[in-house]
Parts: sequence; structure tokens; C-alpha cells
Amino acid sequence: MDGNISFAFLPALPPALGPAALFGSLLLAGLFGGELARRLKLPRLLGWLLAGLLLGQAGPWLPPGWSLHPLLGETRLFFDVAVGLILFDLGRRLDLTWFKRDRSLLAAALLESALAFAAMAGVLCLFGFTRVEAGLAAAIGLSTSPAVVLLVAREFRAEGQVTERTLALVAINTLLAFLTATTLLSVAHAENAAPWHKTLLHPLYLLLGSVLLGSLAARLVLWGARLLGKGPESKFSQFILLAGMLLAAVGLAHAFQLSVFLALLVFGLACRQWDSRYALLSVDLGGAAQLFYIVLFVLTGASLPLTAVLAAGLPVLAYLAARSLGKAAGVMLTAPFSRITWRQHAWLSLALLPMSGVAIALVHDLTSLYPQFGERLGNLVLAAVVLLEFLGPLAVQAAFKGAGESRPEGDEHA
Amino acid sequence: MLEFKSVSPYTLGVELELQVINPHTQDLTRGGPDLLRALEKVAHPGEIKPEITESMIELNSSPHARHDSLLEELHAMRDAVVHTAGSLNLAIAGGGTHPFHRWHERRIFPTERFQQLSSLYGYLAKQFTVFGQHIHVACESGDDAVYLTHQLSRYIPHFIALSAASPFSQGQDTSFETSRLHAVSAFPLSGHMPPVSTWAGFEEFFAKMLGYGIIGSIKDFYWDIRPKPEFGTVEVRICDTPLEVDTAAALAAFVQALAFWLLVERPYPADRVEEGLYLVYGYNRFQATRFGFDATLVDPRSQQSLVLRDDLLATLERLQPFADILGSRAPLARLAAMAGSGANGSAWLRARHEESGALEDVVRHSARCWAGGV
Repeated sequence: MDGNISFAFLPALPPALGPAALFGSLLLAGLFGGELARRLKLPRLLGWLLAGLLLGQAGPWLPPGWSLHPLLGETRLFFDVAVGLILFDLGRRLDLTWFKRDRSLLAAALLESALAFAAMAGVLCLFGFTRVEAGLAAAIGLSTSPAVVLLVAREFRAEGQVTERTLALVAINTLLAFLTATTLLSVAHAENAAPWHKTLLHPLYLLLGSVLLGSLAARLVLWGARLLGKGPESKFSQFILLAGMLLAAVGLAHAFQLSVFLALLVFGLACRQWDSRYALLSVDLGGAAQLFYIVLFVLTGASLPLTAVLAAGLPVLAYLAARSLGKAAGVMLTAPFSRITWRQHAWLSLALLPMSGVAIALVHDLTSLYPQFGERLGNLVLAAVVLLEFLGPLAVQAAFKGAGESRPEGDEHA
Repeated sequence: MLEFKSVSPYTLGVELELQVINPHTQDLTRGGPDLLRALEKVAHPGEIKPEITESMIELNSSPHARHDSLLEELHAMRDAVVHTAGSLNLAIAGGGTHPFHRWHERRIFPTERFQQLSSLYGYLAKQFTVFGQHIHVACESGDDAVYLTHQLSRYIPHFIALSAASPFSQGQDTSFETSRLHAVSAFPLSGHMPPVSTWAGFEEFFAKMLGYGIIGSIKDFYWDIRPKPEFGTVEVRICDTPLEVDTAAALAAFVQALAFWLLVERPYPADRVEEGLYLVYGYNRFQATRFGFDATLVDPRSQQSLVLRDDLLATLERLQPFADILGSRAPLARLAAMAGSGANGSAWLRARHEESGALEDVVRHSARCWAGGV
């Protein structure tokens, strides 16, 4: 008998965690945090964030050789899929003809974005940021987090004008944020004496390419939906069509280095506006999407740079105050012309508070392109995101509850 | 003690319960409170009120002597509601049920009366998210109202077949022409008026029920037809809300013509309630809810079986002279055409479902129809 026993079948230690194990662990962490939040009557997504935050800070206590950070880099795909699904859903819910039927809503959408942008940019200029920096930070700050608003609305079954109008305004301010940020990016290119093709062509490629991708995906889905039909047996087929097309669109946006977010938002919007024959059933992405949403927030929590808050200091508070006031002023100014009450406008202003975790991705992209914009601007935006990630969901929860649109507690059939 | 208000006889009024729809999902939504608040600032005739759950609103017309002015007012109210709903990104639809809403997702309208009903009736309250048309016709006296209530019961199947617009419930075709009435039948005080033949007799019955503590007011009787003493009317409550206002107004004209004929000619005895009227009542009612115009009815007087459609057409024919006086020849012709071709709301909804296969589309078409777009 050979005395040498080979253990080559055993893995090297520590074992490498693949994407499946990672996805699973993130879900389980999210489950734990979500349950905790639910018991405290807080939005579950706060629990998911908190679980992520703890994981993110746990690095030093992990066994040697285990680190979360290289893995977090691999999770960008999960993040993109989740945000893509949310933006698609947001776009698909918005019927643009509503803005025609209620001009005050259109005014609110444009005004809250314009005033918030002006206020944020103005305040940052006062704090000595350059105009381009201030503009970029203001553009990123325009967007209200679609994920937070949609998920809180869904969790508390919010239904009514404040909920619907918040979602409409979020779709518009998110769109405007992408457009403004991309445009300012080209200004930034120019200020850095980048060659003209970079100044002009890159932003143009990003914008047009993403819009084109989203539009094509919508055309394909609508065409496919018409082929599949709408009987009860088609519901599942349409679900697969939509899920497949959504994942493919995220992947293609990656492959072509386009904006996943803009492409998917346009995809959703186009599906709604172009579906003149109502071929697409209102398929609920439901449970499958929910898994990605949990992972999205756990990951966001894990990547929240807490230190940025201290580094950013006073300007971040001024930036947030300007943002909130700008948005509230835009919404409240349209109240006298609207079919809903002053009180509802006030709740609507509050619900616009959450800042998008997408901002983290935008800052990341920006600083990797232009390290010189880097730290100060990055810290400011990230600090704002950190603060609003926790305040935002509470604000939305309070707004929907205050407006009487959440399902009442203790409703026996909730 | 239960005073019957005397008003100009044969004046008409209708109440229409309507669906508040989210145009994204085509499901019911709690848009009622927002819509009612917005409508406070919009000039419109009649009254617009909340109903038991927040996905419903109710239009109440003013009293009208004639069909044409009622129709004109209903058009104006409909336009105000549809336009205002549009500015809130809501859609409005008629029909007796929402085809696929889930009753447990409904929310009780937060008024004291509705909360009380909800705590008394439990899940029945949310299941009562069904949409009916109530038609008031005025009488001179309580005795007339009692007589008319009994005599109109013979025509309950006819109203059911004409107004039927609720073939779908909870996502399924129920095979019934109207599934709405099942939600009504579940209530303990549904059914019909007891066989009293005078207002004094009714008052006595009412006082007993009050004494038992079973009821608090006449509103607690969910009968298919009931006297409404504070309005001085008899209220026919059997109809599904039709898919558009023209049929709603025509149904009101039918009730008015029947009342006119019955009270002017008094073709049947008034001193007693014919036993047969209520012996056949439940059977005939079921036949109409299930088979509509093709229902087989038993005539309480001749004891003969007859097809609902034939009896309805004969009745409309008989009412012609009265319709001429009331100015309602056109609406009765409309109903006769519906009966002739079998084209009630349920047939229309089933045809829309046949076309696309999706109940979402049925709701979408229905809302367009209500808005006057079909």
C-alpha cells in the first residue's frame, strides 16, 4: 500500500467564494436585516442596507485571506441588473400623456428639477467648488432614488395621488439627472483639454447609444408580445420574454459601454408609450426581481463610505439643504394650479428626499475617468448618499403614511 | 311615524356606482378620495359621493320629470368625472363587477357609517365592491309606494337581463349574466319587502324591526326594491351599473313608464299581495341572473312558462302609450333593440374578452365605453 495519501481533491484554503455563494450570502444577510426592520415597523430596505453596512465594515474581523472587497467588485452586475429592473419598472408605469392632462404636474416635474439644480450648484459654488464640479454634483443630486420610492411604495402598498405623482416626478428627475450629468461630462472633458472627439463624441455616444438600445429592446419586446398573444397561458411566456430582454439589455449596455440606467429607463418608457395596441401584459416581475433588490441594498450598504461624511463636512449639509429646499419649492409652487391639496404637495415634497444609490455608481465612473475631480467632489456626493440612504426611506414611509396612502396597520386583510 | 314625503309623482332620479381604475394595471385603485376632493372644485350638476370602498364613487342625479333632461344631466356628470379622473391619471368604468380585482385588497372608505358596516359585516363589506344602478321613481303616497314595490317585483328579471354587465368575477367568467347580485344576496337583510299591502302595514313592520334592534333606518334593508319615504320614492336597486350612461337613463325611463302604467291603470289588486308574486320571485331572479334574455320565467298569475325576452318585448310594447306621454319612446326603443339582439353589457364584455383574451383589455375597453368613446 502506498503510504502517501493525496488530498488534492480538497480545495485550497481559504476556499474562493464564487458569485453563487456570494449572492446567497448577501440574500441571507438581507433577510436578517429585513426581518429586524419589519419588526421595528421600518421599511425592510433599511434593514437590507444595515446588514450590508455591517458586512462592509466586517473586513478586519474576517479570517485571513477572506476579503469582501475583491468580491464586491464582481457584484457590479447584480447591482446593474437590480437598478435596471427598477428603472424599467419606473419607466413602464409612466404614461407621458398624464403631463398633458395635468399641466401642473409637468410644471412640478420641471420646476423641482430646475430649482434643486440651481440651489445645489449655487451653494457649492459658494463653498469654492468650480462651476463644473458644482454642476456635476448638482446633476447627480437631481435624481430621487427610484429604488427607494418604488420599494417603499410596494412594501406599504401605497396607492394614491402622492404615490403616483412621486413616481412620475422620480422618472423625470432621474432622466434629467442622466442627461445633465452626461452633458456636463462633456464640459468636463473640454476643461481638461481632452481631444474634441472625446469631448463631443463620448457623451453623444453614451446618450444616443443608450437611448437607441432602450428603444430597440422595447420594439423587440412589443413585437414579441404581439406574437405571444395575451391569453391566460401567455402570461408566463410574456414574463420570460420580458425577463430575458431585460437581462440581455443590461448585458448589451455593459458590452457596448453604454449607460445601463439610461438604456433601461428608456426601455421602460418606450414600452409604455409605444404599446398602442396594448400587446404587453402588465407582467409583475415580482419575486424574482425582489431577490435582486435585496442584493442591491445589501451591496449599497456594504459600499457606503462612512468616512466620507466626516471628510465632506459642512458643504454636504448645505448641499442637502439646498436640494431639499429646491425640490420642495418646485413642488409647492405648483400647488395652487393642481387638482390635489397643499397637504398632498407637502407629502410629495418629502417623498422626493431619497438620493439615488445610482449616484455612487456615477461618482465611481466619473472619478475613474477623471481622478482630478476626485476626492472632494466624490466625498461630497457620497456623504450625501450615506446620509440620505438612511433618512430617505423614512421620509418616503412618512410621506405615504401621512398622505393616508399606505395600507393601514391592523387591516385584517393586509 | 315613518312619514312618506309626497312629491310630484313619476319624477325620476338615478344613482350610479362607478369603478375607479388605475390605467397602468387596469385594476381597481383607491382613487375615490382624491377624485372626490378634486371634483369639489369642478362645477357639475347632481352629487358625487363616496361608497363603501375607496375604489368606488357614486353619482346621484337630481330629480327629473323626463328622460331627456335626466340623460343630459348624466352626460354632464359623466364628462366632469371622466375629465377630472384623467387629470389624476385615473380611469372610470361602469359594469357591475371589476373583472379581476381581489376583494381583500380593497380599503373601506374612512367614514363612520362605512367603518361600522365593515366591523359588522367583516369580509362581506369588502366583497361588496360591486357596482349597481339604483333608480328612484316618485309616488304620491306611501300606499302607492307599497303597491308599486310589489308590482315592480314582477319585472325584476327584466331589469336584470337589460342591465347585466358583470359576467366576470375574481378573474373568471362566472357563466352568469350578472355575478354582482351574489355579493348582495349574502347580506342578511337582502331579498324583498314583506307582503304588507298598505303604508300603515309597512310602518308596523318597520317599527317591529326597529324594536328588535335589527335595523337603524330604512337604509339597512338591502332589498331589490324598497320604498324610500324620505325621498317619497320607490327605489329599484337590482340593476348592474350599465357600461354607459345612455342605457342607465333608458332603464330609468323603463321604470318610470312601468310606474306610470301600474299606478294609473291599477291592473292588479291593491288590497292584498298576490301570493304568487313572491313564490316565483327567487326562481325567476336566478333564471335572469344566469341566462339573461334567454331565461325561462314563470308568470305568477297565469303560471305559464315564458321566455324573458318575449315577455320583455311584450311589456315594452304595452308601455308605448305611456311612453308617448312621458316622452320616452326613444329609450324604450333602445331597450327593445337590446332585447331583440341580446346585446346587453355582459355580451359586450364577453365579446371584448373573446377578441384579446386579456381581462385587462376588457377593463380598458369598458372605461373607454364609459367615457363615451365607443
